[in-house]
Amino acid sequence: MKVSKMKSAGLVLASTMVLLSACGGNNNGNGNAGGNNTAGNTTTNAATENTTNNGTTTNAAADPVTLTMLVSGAKAAEDADFELETLPKLVKEKFPNVTLEVQKLPDEQYYTSVKAKLAAGEGPDIFLVFPNMANMGAIEVAKAGYAADLSGLSFWDNVSQAAKNDMSYEGKPYAVAKGMDILGTYYNKDLFAQAGITEIPKDWASFLAASDKLKSAGITPIVMGDKDPWVIQFGMYQLSANSVYPSDPTFDTKLQTGETALTDEKWVKTVNQYKELYDKEYVAKGSLGMASAQAVQQFVDGKAAMIFTGTWDLPGVTATGASEFERGFFSLPGNDAGQPVYASAATAAGYALNANSKNLEIGKQIFEYLYDGQSPLFQAWVESNPSISVFNGVELKNEIFKDVLDNIQSTGHAFYFSNQMWPAGVSDVMQTKFSEIIGGKKTTAEDVTKAMQDKYKELYKG
Amino acid sequence: MNSAVMKKTMYFFVLPAMLFYCVFWIFPILKLFQYSVTDYNGYVQSFNYVGLSNFKTLFQEEILGVSVKNTLIYTFITVIFGNIIALMLALLLNANIRAKGFYRSAFYIPTLFSAIVVGFIWSYVYMPGDGLIASFLTKIGLGDVDTNFLGSYGKALYAIIAVDIWKNIGTSTIIFLAGLQSVPYELQEAGRIDGAGRWKLFRFVTLPMLATSVTINITLSIINGLKAFDYPFVMTNGGPGTSTNTLIYAMYKMAFTDQLFGKASALGIISFALIIAITAICVFTLNRKEVSA
Amino acid sequence: MKGIAAKKLLTHLVIIALVFINLVPLLIVLSSSLRSPKNMTNPLNWFNEFTLESFQSAFTRMHFMSALWNSIVLTSVSVFFVVVLAAMAAYPMARIRSKFSRFLYIFFLSGLVVPGQMVLIPIIQMIKGLGIPMNQYTPILMFITCSLPFSTFLYTGFIRSSVPEEIEEAAHIDGCSMFRRFWQIVFPLILPVTVSVVITQGVWIWNDYFFNMVFITKASDAPLPVAMLGFLGDQQNPAQWNVLFAACILCALPLLLAFLALQKYFVGGLTMGSVKG
Repeated sequence: MKVSKMKSAGLVLASTMVLLSACGGNNNGNGNAGGNNTAGNTTTNAATENTTNNGTTTNAAADPVTLTMLVSGAKAAEDADFELETLPKLVKEKFPNVTLEVQKLPDEQYYTSVKAKLAAGEGPDIFLVFPNMANMGAIEVAKAGYAADLSGLSFWDNVSQAAKNDMSYEGKPYAVAKGMDILGTYYNKDLFAQAGITEIPKDWASFLAASDKLKSAGITPIVMGDKDPWVIQFGMYQLSANSVYPSDPTFDTKLQTGETALTDEKWVKTVNQYKELYDKEYVAKGSLGMASAQAVQQFVDGKAAMIFTGTWDLPGVTATGASEFERGFFSLPGNDAGQPVYASAATAAGYALNANSKNLEIGKQIFEYLYDGQSPLFQAWVESNPSISVFNGVELKNEIFKDVLDNIQSTGHAFYFSNQMWPAGVSDVMQTKFSEIIGGKKTTAEDVTKAMQDKYKELYKG
Repeated sequence: MNSAVMKKTMYFFVLPAMLFYCVFWIFPILKLFQYSVTDYNGYVQSFNYVGLSNFKTLFQEEILGVSVKNTLIYTFITVIFGNIIALMLALLLNANIRAKGFYRSAFYIPTLFSAIVVGFIWSYVYMPGDGLIASFLTKIGLGDVDTNFLGSYGKALYAIIAVDIWKNIGTSTIIFLAGLQSVPYELQEAGRIDGAGRWKLFRFVTLPMLATSVTINITLSIINGLKAFDYPFVMTNGGPGTSTNTLIYAMYKMAFTDQLFGKASALGIISFALIIAITAICVFTLNRKEVSA
Repeated sequence: MKGIAAKKLLTHLVIIALVFINLVPLLIVLSSSLRSPKNMTNPLNWFNEFTLESFQSAFTRMHFMSALWNSIVLTSVSVFFVVVLAAMAAYPMARIRSKFSRFLYIFFLSGLVVPGQMVLIPIIQMIKGLGIPMNQYTPILMFITCSLPFSTFLYTGFIRSSVPEEIEEAAHIDGCSMFRRFWQIVFPLILPVTVSVVITQGVWIWNDYFFNMVFITKASDAPLPVAMLGFLGDQQNPAQWNVLFAACILCALPLLLAFLALQKYFVGGLTMGSVKG
C-alpha cells in the first residue's frame, strides 16, 4: 500500500515535469496521431447519421437511452453553458438516440451528492474527478471501483503523459483531464503603472515592495474573497511551490513515510509569507466577509490591483466591469532574491465514467467523440474551456497566460498544487486555521502547520 | 373505556407507519452506533472496527467543544429572543384593531420561503459594501461602521441566528395569538375589576392561559435550534474558521469533506445524546410548570 | 374616546413600522427582480425600473415549469401518504390506554429530534439494500418518514380531545367494523387537523433541498429548491443579483399564492396543532 502511494507521489512529481514539457512540444505533426479514431474521423463535420452508421455502433444505436452527468461549478452567467447546454445538444446531434441529462452543483454540494449516489450504487454515468489524492480524486474513485478504466480508449496518444498519469491508478487512466491549470496572480496593468511599478516582481522582496507602492498610492493591492475559504489555497500553493518544493522535490513522499512533517520550517515559512500579506494589510481588509465572486467583481471594477486565482477564473476576471483596463498574469514570486520563480501548475479536473453504469459503452463512445481532437464537440469543448489544453495540437488560446507558460516550458520550474498529494481534509484545516489569522486571532503559522500535520496523520492511511 | 370497541387489533393501524419509520429512520439511526466504532469512510464499502478511538479523538479536538458551544448559543438565543419577540408581536396583534389579519400575514410570509432562498436574501442583506445594511448605513452617513457581519469571528454566528429568528417568528406569533385568543374575556375583565395592574394581569391571567402555546413554541424552537444546519450550510460554510459550525454542520463536514464517516457517526451519537437530554429536560420542566400554572 | 383612538393609531404605527422592518429585505428583492439584468444601480433606489427581463432569464435558467411540476408532484404525493399513514397510526395511540400505546407515542415523537443530515448515509444504504431504485421519487420516502413524528403527534392529540368515543361505541353497536369506523366516522371528523398536517408538512417538504439534492440526478427532475442551488455561486456577485432575486421570487411564488388564497386554513391549521395538541 505504502509503496503504491509512494509511487504515485513520484509520478505526480515526474508527471508535472513531463506535463510542462509536453505542452511545449505540441507541433502540428502530433495532431495527426488521432487518426486511429474509429468514428468521426473521415467525416469530420457531418455529425449525422452517416457517421453513426459507419461507426462502431449499429446495434445499440436504435434504443433511446438517457445518460446522467453530474459536475461541479457555477453556471455560465452569459452565453451557453458548455456542460449544461452545448454538450447535451452536440451529443444529441451525433447520437440521436442519446439524451444527456446534466446537473451542475456548487463544489460542496457536488461532493455530498456524488458521493452519496456512488455509495448507493446509483451514481451518475459521467462525473467529475479530481487529480490524484484530492477530494473525489482519481486514485480514490478508482480504488473504490466507481470509475471505469479508460485505458482502452483510442485518444490517449493525443493527451500529454502527465495529464494521463495524474488521473491514473496503478498505471491505468480513469478520467480525462480538462487541461492544465496554473495558479497565478491576475493584475491590473493600469493600476500598476499608476503606482509607478514598471516591472513584474521577480522575488518576494520585490513583490512586497510593489504591494507597498500600491498601498501608499491609495490603491488596494490585493483583493481576496476569503468568505469562500478555499481561495486561501490559491495564494498558499503559489508560495509553497517556491518555499517548499524547490529545495525538496520529494517533500510529499517523505511526508507519507513520516520522514518529514507539515510542521517543517518550509511550510512554516510558506504560511508566514502568506500571513505577511494580511499583517501588512496588502489584502483588502474584511476579506472574510467577501465571497470569491464578489472579490473577482472588485478586481474587474478596478477597485484592487491583484487577485490570486487560477486559469479557470479567466472568464470571470476578464468580464466587463465598471473600469476598463488591461489584465496581466504572473506567478506569485515566493522565492528569495537570486532564486528562480516557480509556478504552481497542475492537472485540472476531468470527466470519468461510472464503472457500474449500464450505459458504459455509450459513455465510451461519447468520450471517443468528445476527445477525438477534431469533432465539433471537441472544438466547442476547447473553445469553452479556459484551462490550458493537454491535447496535442491545440494552440494556446489565451495570450494572457503566454509568459508564465513559456517560462514553465523553457525552465520546468513548476510544482503541483499541494493538496493533490494530501488526503482531502488537510486543506480544509489549513483554510480554517489560516482564517483565524485573517480574522485577527492570535494563531501563528506554527499553529496552522501543526493542525495540518495532525489532520494529515489522522487521515492518511498508508 | 369499552375494550370491546377499542380492541387490541387496532394496533394494526400503526403497522404501515411503523414500517416506514423503522426502515428509514430507526434502523439507520442504529447503524450510526455501529459505524461510530469503525473507520468507515462512507464511501468505500470496507472498514475496520477501531473501538472507541473516534470518540477519543473527538474529545481531544477542539471542534467538538466549538460546535457544542455554538449550538447551545444558537439554541438559547433562538428560544429566548425568538419567543419573546413573537410573544410581544402577538400581544400587539391581539389588540382590538383593524387589519389584524393583514399584519399577521405580513409577519408570516418569511416562513414560506425555502431556507436556501432565505440564505440568498440575507447574504445580500449582510454583504459588506453593496449589501442592504451597508448601503443603508452609507446613505445615512454612517459608512464607517463595520458591516462585515458574516466575515467576523465575533458576529457571524449571531448574524445567522438573526436570520433563523426572522424566518420562524411568524409561526411562533400565530401560535401565541391562538393562545391569547383562548383567554376568556371575562377573566381579564374580572382581573381588571379586582384592580390588577397591567403586568399582574399579564402574569397571572394571560400567561397561565398561554401555557400550552409556550410549551409548544419553546419545544419546537429548542429542537429547531439544536438541529441547526441550513444557514451555516447556505450562508457561511461554517466559517469564518469554525465560528459558525453547529453540531450538525460539523458532522456533515466530517462525513463528506474529511470522509471520516465513522468519526462523524460518533459525533452524531454525541449530538443525539445531547439533543435528547436537553429536549427531555425542557419538556419535563415545561410540563410541570404547565400543570402547576 | 379620543384617548382610545389615539392609542389605536399608535398601535397601528408601531405595527406598520415593524412590518416594514420585517419585510424590507423582501421588498428590495422584489424591486431588484423587476429590473433588467443590466441595471446595476444601488438596490436601495428601489422600484426605479419595471421589466420582466430578469424574470425571463431566471425562468429559463431554472427550468421553471418542470421544476414547478416536480415540486407539485413530490409534495402532493408525500403529503397524501403522510396523512393516511399518520392518521391511521395515531388512531390506536389515541384510543388505547396502555403502556404499549404510550410507548408508541413517545417512540414516534422522539424521531423529531434526529436531523436528516445525520442519518443520510445509512438511509441510502438501506434504500440500496432493499433494491429501491434511486430516482426523482425516492425523496418521497424520506419526506413521508420525516413527517411521521410530528403528524402522529398532532393526530393523536386531536383524536383524544375532539373525537368522542361515544360516537364510535354507537357505531360499534350498529355493527360497523373497525376499519369502516375509522375511515367513515373518525377520519372525516379529524379533517381540521388534517388541514394542519397538510400545511405544516407540505410547507417543509415543498421547501426542502437536502434530500432532493442527494437523490435527484437529472436537472429535469429537480424541484424548485434544487433548481435554486444552481444559483448558489451568484449570491455574492452584485452583478447577478437581479436575476438571482427574480429566481428567489419565482421559487417562493407558488407557496405565496397558495397562502394568499388559503390564508384562513394556514392560520387555522397552525393554530389547531398548538392549542388542541
